[in-house]
This record gives sequence, C-alpha cells and structure tokens, in this order.
Amino acid sequence: MSAPVAAAGVTDNALQSAHGGKGPATLADIRRAGREAFASLPMPGRDDERWRFSDVRSLSLDGFAPAGAPSTADASRLVRGSALTADAEATLVFVDGHCVSHPALSAVLVKAGVVFAPIEDVVRERPELLRDEALRHPALLGGAKMLALQRAWFGSGYVLHVPDDVELTKPLSVVHWALAEGSASFPHALIRVGARARAAVHEWRLGAQPDLRTLSVSATDLHAGPGAKIERLSVQNWGSAAQSFEIDTVTAEAAAEVTSVNAAVGARRARLENVVRLQGEGADVRLLGITVATGEQEFDQRTLQVHAAPGARSDLLFKNALLDRARTVFSGLIKVEPGAQRTDAYQTNRNLLLSPEAEADSLPGLEIEANDVKCSHGATTGQISPEELFYLLARGIPLAAAQELLAQGFLEEVLTRIGDAGAADAVRGMLRAKFHS
Amino acid sequence: MPDSLVIRNLHASVGERPILKNFSLTVPKGEVHAIMGPNGTGKSTLAKVLAGHPDYVVQSGDALVDGQPILGLEPDVVARAGLFLAFQYPSEIPGVTIANFIRAALVARQAKGAPFDAKAYYAELYAKMDALKMDRKFTSRFVNEGFSGGEKKRCEILQLMMLKPRYAVLDETDSGLDIDALRIVSEGVNAMRGPDTGFLVITHYQRLLDHIVPDRVHIMWDGQIVHSGGKELALELEEKGYDWVKKELAHA
Amino acid sequence: MADFNQDERAQREAIDVDRSKGDFKYEENYAYDAGVGLNPGVVDYISKVKGEPEWVREFRHRSLGVFESMPMPTHWATNDLDNIHFQEIRYYLAKGQKASRTWEEVPDDVKRTFERLGIPEAERKFLAGVEAQFDSEASYSRMKEELEKQGVIFCGPTEGLRDHAEIFRRWFGKVIPAGDNKFAALNSAVFSGGSFIYVPKGVKVAQPLQAYFRINAQNFGQFERTLIIADEGSEVTYMEGCTAPKFETATLHSAVVELVALKGAKIQYVTVQNWSSNVFNLVTKRGVAEEDAEVRWIDCNIGSRLTMKYPGVVLRGKRARGEVLSIALANVGQHQDTGAKMIHAADDTTSNIIAKSISVGEGRSTYRGLVHIPRTLRNCRNNTECDALLINERSRTDTYPAISVRGRKNSVQHEASVSKVSAEQIFYMMQRGLTEGEAMSLAVNGFVNDLVKEFPMEYSVELKRLIELQMEGSVG
Repeated sequence: MSAPVAAAGVTDNALQSAHGGKGPATLADIRRAGREAFASLPMPGRDDERWRFSDVRSLSLDGFAPAGAPSTADASRLVRGSALTADAEATLVFVDGHCVSHPALSAVLVKAGVVFAPIEDVVRERPELLRDEALRHPALLGGAKMLALQRAWFGSGYVLHVPDDVELTKPLSVVHWALAEGSASFPHALIRVGARARAAVHEWRLGAQPDLRTLSVSATDLHAGPGAKIERLSVQNWGSAAQSFEIDTVTAEAAAEVTSVNAAVGARRARLENVVRLQGEGADVRLLGITVATGEQEFDQRTLQVHAAPGARSDLLFKNALLDRARTVFSGLIKVEPGAQRTDAYQTNRNLLLSPEAEADSLPGLEIEANDVKCSHGATTGQISPEELFYLLARGIPLAAAQELLAQGFLEEVLTRIGDAGAADAVRGMLRAKFHS
Repeated sequence: MPDSLVIRNLHASVGERPILKNFSLTVPKGEVHAIMGPNGTGKSTLAKVLAGHPDYVVQSGDALVDGQPILGLEPDVVARAGLFLAFQYPSEIPGVTIANFIRAALVARQAKGAPFDAKAYYAELYAKMDALKMDRKFTSRFVNEGFSGGEKKRCEILQLMMLKPRYAVLDETDSGLDIDALRIVSEGVNAMRGPDTGFLVITHYQRLLDHIVPDRVHIMWDGQIVHSGGKELALELEEKGYDWVKKELAHA
Repeated sequence: MADFNQDERAQREAIDVDRSKGDFKYEENYAYDAGVGLNPGVVDYISKVKGEPEWVREFRHRSLGVFESMPMPTHWATNDLDNIHFQEIRYYLAKGQKASRTWEEVPDDVKRTFERLGIPEAERKFLAGVEAQFDSEASYSRMKEELEKQGVIFCGPTEGLRDHAEIFRRWFGKVIPAGDNKFAALNSAVFSGGSFIYVPKGVKVAQPLQAYFRINAQNFGQFERTLIIADEGSEVTYMEGCTAPKFETATLHSAVVELVALKGAKIQYVTVQNWSSNVFNLVTKRGVAEEDAEVRWIDCNIGSRLTMKYPGVVLRGKRARGEVLSIALANVGQHQDTGAKMIHAADDTTSNIIAKSISVGEGRSTYRGLVHIPRTLRNCRNNTECDALLINERSRTDTYPAISVRGRKNSVQHEASVSKVSAEQIFYMMQRGLTEGEAMSLAVNGFVNDLVKEFPMEYSVELKRLIELQMEGSVG
C-alpha cells in the first residue's frame, strides 16, 4: 500500500511557502533561500557545458510531490528489509523522506559526543550543528537548480557528527526508501568527522518496488577534519522510472583520508555531481564510481577534484558497464590551483560497451596551475577483448556466460576497493542482477 | 576411430596465407604424442584451429573428437566436447578469480540447473593446487593477472586437471619455465596420463619430453607431419637439429 | 624564489629574441585598401577588386550575416576573445592584384621581406612550389614546371575561382561551411589569399609545396582561404609558415583550410605558426578522408597571443586514416588553445592524436579534443595521447577532451599526463657543462623528440631552433 501523495508538485510555489512557513528559523531560512534561488535559476540548457551529452530536453522536475508518512505496516516491513550493512553500529531508515527508524547509539558513543540523527531531531536538539557553512556550498557542476529545490524542501536526511579523536569501529548505515509512486524526497547528509576521528557511513537509496517513478534530489556535505579517516558508500537503486540527483561535496583537511564510493544501479536517469576539495596538506581522497547501465538508463557523472593545498593526493576511478540502449556520461576535472605543488592527482574512466546501441561519453579534463605535480588521466571505451573471450570459450564456458563473467570481472576493480566486504557483496549482488533483468 | 583425436587432411590459413597443408594425425586415447618442429611451421596454428579460434580459416579437412566433428563449432562447444588447449600465452582475465573461473567452466559442463557441489569442488581444487605446489591464496587471485610465466603455466595445468578433458593439447607449455616449474608442470600432466586421456604435446625443444615421455613423436614441417617415430626420434632431433630434417626433406 | 624575475626575463627574451627573425616591417603603401571596420561595403569592395562572380559575392554576404548573428564562443573559450575589436581592423590591403612568377618582379620592399625570412633560398633548396602572401594577396607564386605538366594546380583562391571554377566550386565551403563557427563565418565573408591546390589522380608530389604568410600592416586582419584536393591515389605535402612584426595593437589572423583526400589519396599539412605575440590566431582546419585515404595534420604553434585551432578529420570512407600531431609552446602572455577533432563516419577507420604542449612562465596551453564514433559503425579505433610539460611554477595547462562512442568493436583510448623538468635533470646537465638554458631546451626537445621525428626534416630543424630560443632564460 502506498502513502497518499499531495496533489500539487514540488515545483509549485504555493505549496512550498506553506511548507516553508513551518519549522524552526534555521530551516525556514534555508528553505526561503532555496525557493528564491529555484525561482531565479533557469533549467539547464543545451549550451551549458556542464550538461554536455546529457539529455536535457527530457529533463523535468515536474509531476512529483512529497508523500505522506508510510503506514505502520509498510514502515516496519521496510525497516526489516534495511539490513544491508550487516554489522552496522546503527541504521537510520527513511521512507519517502520520513524517518521511520532511529535507533539510539551506544552509551559510549553518546558520551563521546557522537551525533547520528535525523535532521528534524537535530533542528530541535542541536540546531547549532546545522549552522554549518557546508550548507552554503554551491553546486559547481551544473545542478544549482536541483540543489535549490532540495534546499526549498530542506528537512529530511541526517547529521553525522564525530568529535575529534573519536573512532567508530563499525559502519553507520542510512537507508532511504521510495515507496509512493510519484513521490519526491530531498534528503540531506551533513557529515562532519573531527580531527583524527574515524567513521564509515553507508547510504542505500532503494525503491520499494522495481518500477517506481520517483524523484530524489539529495545533497551530501562531507567534511573530514585534519587526520580524519572516512569511508563513504552511496548506493542508488531506485525504481526503474525514477529520477535521481545526488550533489555531493567532500572537503578534506590536512592528512585526512577519505574514500567515497558511488554505485548506480537503478533509476531511469541518475546524475551524480561530486566536488572534492583537498584543502589541507597531505589530504588523500579516493573517489570510486561503478555502474551497470541497462535498458534506456542514463547515468550522468560529473566530478571535480580541486587541489587547493600542496602535497595532497586524489585518485578517481569510474567504471561503467553498458548494455542495451543505455548511456553513461563521465565528465571529470582535476583542478590544481596555483601553489598546490607536489600534487598527485589521477582520474580514470573505463567504459565497457556490451551492446552496439549503448553510448559512453567521456569528458576527462585537467586544469593545472602548478608545475610540480604528478597528474594524469585516462579514458577508454571499448568492448570485451576478443582474446579474453576466446580463453573463456576455450574452457567450455558458453558465450553469454563468458561475456557476463568478463563484465563482472571488469567491475571487480572497483568492488574490491570497498572497505566493507559485506556491503561490497550487497552492491555486487545488485549489479549482477542487472545482467539478467 | 571412436576413441581417438583424429585430424584428417586439414588445410587452414590466416587471412590469405596457408599454414596447415594437408595435415593428418591420429592420437588414440591413452597415448601421449609430441609434435616437434621449428618456429613458424604451424604448430601453434594447429592448436588454435582445433580449439576453434576465429582468426583462422579452415579450407578443408576434418577433426574429430571420439568420432564427433569439431571444426566449425564454437570454441566453447569444442571445449565441452572434450578438447582442452593449454595456451602458449594464456590471457589475463582481470576481476575474475581462478576459483570463479574454473567453477563457471565446470558448471557449463553440468546439466542445466543441476546443483553444484561447492564443497567437493573446493576440496578437489585445493588438492590439485597442493599437487602443483600452488599457494591456496591463488584461488582468489584474478586469472593470470600479474602471474609470472611459470605461474601462468601452472594455472593452465590446474585447469586441465580440474576440467578432465578427453584430449589435451599443450602448446609450448615448457616455454618460459625454469627447471623446477617444468618438473612440477610435467608431474601434473603425468598424473593425468591414463586410458581416459590423450595428449598432444607441442614443443620446440626436447627437454619437456625428458619429463613427459611421449609414446610417439612427430616432426612438423611447413604445415604437415613429415616424419614420425618413437620417443627416440626426439633425441635424434635434439642431436642433429632441424637442419637434418631439412636435408632429409630435400632428398625425399 | 626568484621566479618573478625569471619570468620577466623569459618574457623579455620571448619578445626580443624569439621573434627577431620576423620582427621588422617596411613602410605601408597600398594600392588597394578596404578601409577600417567591417560592413557589407567592405565585402562588396573585396569582391569587386577581385572581379568575383555573383555567387561568391552572395556567399560572402550570407557569411557576414552568419558572423554577425553568432555569439562569441566565450561560454567555453577564453574571454580574451572580447579584446578583438572588429570595427578597428582593416580587412583588405594589397599592393597589387597579381602574384609575380619571378622574385625579380616582386616589389622591392616585399622581396626584401621574404629574403630576410629565407623563402627564396628554401625554394631553391627543397620546395616544389612556393606562394608568398603579403597581407591580403600573394606577391609571389611559382611551381616547378614538371608539376604543372602533370596537371597539378597551385595558385590562390582568386585564380582558382577564375581558372578552375568547376573543381573549385565543387569543394569550396563543403568541408567547413560558413556557419561552422563565428570565425569561419568571418573568413567566409572577407577571405583573400591562401592556396588552391589540385593534385590529379595518381600524381605523387615528392617535394612539399610551401606557402608563406606575412602580416606587415598594423591593425590588419589576414583571412586566407586554402582548399586542397588530392584526387584518387595522389599524394601531397603542404607546408605553411607565418610571421608578423610585433605591433602595439592586436592583429587578427583567421584562416579557413579545407582538405579533400579522395579514395586512396594522402595529404600531409604542416604548419609552423610563429606569429608575433599580439596576433589573435583563430583558424578552422578540417579535412575529409575518403576510402583508404589519409589526412595528417602536423601543427606547431609557437607564436601568437591567442591561438584557437583544432584541426579535424572527417573519416568518411572505409579504412580512412586521420592523424593530428601537435606541438604547442605557450610563453609568457600566450595562450595556445589547440587540439584535434576526429569524426568517424565509416567502418574500419582509425585516428591518432598526439598532442604535446609546453607552458613557460605564465604561459597557458589548452588541449581540446573531440572523438566521435556513432552507433552505425564498427571496427573504428582512436588513440589519443596528450602530454603537457610545465616549466615554471605558475605555468598553466588544461585538457578538455570529449569522447563519444557507440557501435560494435569500436575502441577509444585517451591518456593524458602532466610533468615538469626536474631541478635534478637540469643540475645533471649543467654539471656536464651546459648552460641552464641549453639544459632546459635539451629537456624540452627531448620531450617533443618522438613527435618531431615525424616531421619533414627542414621543419624539424626550424622547430628545434625555435624551441631553443624560447627556452633560453626560462628556468625558474
């Protein structure tokens, strides 16, 4: 059973002002700014380089509306299905943007000052955590209009706050379910891990039915303090008619180590914008992306690695396997600012075309304004190697199985870099299922 | 000849260039035959043609595995018909572990939907790896990726032992092996010898045949067998060199 | 760090030393002058002076309309384009309408110009034909007689239009239509000078044909137009060089070059661009390669203030091959915005791009690439390699490739890297007795060496010398 959906769309001004009128001042401010920005910004056009190769003509945010809270039965069913991170310290569960499960952290972590809570609770209990400059991060990669809409509806999502020197040994998990047909959700993740602190957080974005048509615009602001260590995994597996926009900002202070993995499985069209700013000496950020695109799916990946401090390292690897008439766009830029000497920056995009109708577009870019750097990018698009295929066939493995095995092998390079083996298995399972859908 | 690998009057080419010229050979099950010959004489082409490699074109002739014709079949069908090729240059298969790879090959040989006995599989896999002195960690390594020459060849023999074909064609399995690896690989092959398996060992050098002692030795020249004999022929060839064959041919 | 002083020195030398060869001018006295600024009257003037047929005049006017309607491409390109003031430029200047066939007949000041640039000497030594353009028109044009007997045509577009109308009209504006981009439209409106070459079936022109472009006048815009047609199975190499004196004001050079390689033909087009550092060099170059044909661009950009140039090949016939080998050197005050486009439009086509850039001082080099393989094709290959060398701390490089692939058995590979010359390398070479400048130019020449080897010998020598001059005093 689906929760009822409001009649008016999310882009409707009247509804927004009614919604924006409630809640604490902080929230109202954010929403008002979001509404104003949304009204003033144009939809992305074909001449916008940041949307190059994207199907902007079919881009529309209309026809979606926030859904009401789910029934108790639906909520408990979905909570039961939310154990994707097996050994999670705690799991937050949202359904259509409403928090339905919010287990308490252990006393030790609470005492240490760790906050892992829905934004609605944080607004009430720790509003100062929301007055973060992270909320003012602009969408640099083209999604300003979407981000404005997300701000206009700001209120869903969570805050993770880990004070200096606190180490979380087990991962935290957040599961977002889309349940109601036509529902829109706008979750925000505000992750702040203090100096020398340590945390892992997994986010799962799932459709409760395979063919749901929903909209999600999510924003993540991840800040790694000096010497912090963060592992982040974001898995998108919305229903097959969904639209998804993820706008992520990662900031790494000196000697911070961040691994951020994005896996795209579901949705009709999914766009990821990921800006990484290495602003402290010796920061080390790894960005990984993995997709299996099938049917008419369009996966659009836009990344920016900004080296604003010397001696930092960033390494990006995005691998896309494409079937049917699917399309992927990878557009990545490494930007080394003046003075960011001794930078090590890498960017690799590999696309495997498993169908002649599939299309892979690649825009790997460099902007380098310091000379003492090690910097490279590579982009390849090709088919399964005939030699590898013959080797498998010569062992008696039939063609279809051999191709699938090779395609899965192609994806392993990313999967093996996911720190949590259980979560990696869950992602592997979702990706493999796509070869038989 | 139901219990043989039979190759009859085989003509095959790469592009426009003929390589195999009326090649005929019969390897009865239970025997080890060696093919020796200088480089460029068509030995590896023979192996690839039998395995159904798409780069080679067969003009005429037959090849039969226990009476079943295999030429023109897809490579996986040939393999499941019982012909195994140990590659001279095995491919690296990134992201696919040895354990998954061999498992997929075994599953392909089962009836569709039949349950796979994973426990028995791993028991056997580990036993064969122990015999080949391969570290068990290799099961989770990607096929041939980053392997040394010797490790690649050992991995080929491991697959041979796991897949238990009716006939195995070993293409220059000794190339790139040091003496210890050569001994281990040969022991693996010798352990497989028996009434159910036939071997066609392709080699440029005699030294492999010190370890895998053949029942018959054939000398290949310009796309066909020009001379056949017992195991002593390999020694004679080692002593006199391929020039001797050339002279013999000149007189013939 | 004493980088600022070093950069200043580099800048001084870039101006004083590098362009010494071309940095001189003679008095301006022109018989034909279209005046300052751009309007339909200028277009009519040019067309009338040249005695063109009506369809060309109409083509020019249409193109002017296109130029005026198109925005500046500053949404992706540098804002420096806004510093071009189209109404302050002179669009047509000529001393005469007919190119001389012997150097004796060339006006004295023009002849002295080309003698100082070494053109007559080069012609004697290794060229099959030479055309020397002074501002808007060719002053000298000559080709070896035996080529003429074989039916090779080598002249300017005005003569091509007049004497070989049928071939000219068939291909003119077909590879690069006027609306291709704003600057192609501008060229189409006011073009003058350039080369028209036709190589008949099966004729292989062993020695290169050479064009030399010289800007002599201040506030001048040069808009030459080149069209090369290599008929089935023929081969030709065309080389162009260019210089201008250093003026205080900006000068504009905006050429359009169209190449047509018919079945099995080969065209190699070599450019060594050494404009002075006040020249905006905005050039559109594209070739079409039919079945089994080959188009190869060798493109070296050493001079100019801003160069925007992305030679392209449309691979229209099966097994066609396209190649761009590019070297760019951006010194202080320069932006080399170069690249390559490979449009695959037939099966089994292959393309190769190797682009190397060197940024000195605050110089900026940019690579923009386009590789397109559509759904209907199979067995197409592209390989792209971009390497950037950064000399000083504030040197800048950008890489913006765009790759779009569909279809069966197509594969594309793009690799780019950025590196610097290490202080240890320089120290090592200096310890062996080389000066700092020598060591740096050796390192830079090493960086481009594998590419330069592919060039015609005469040009590789010239290029090495230019790099040596540029690198002196650049070490930071």
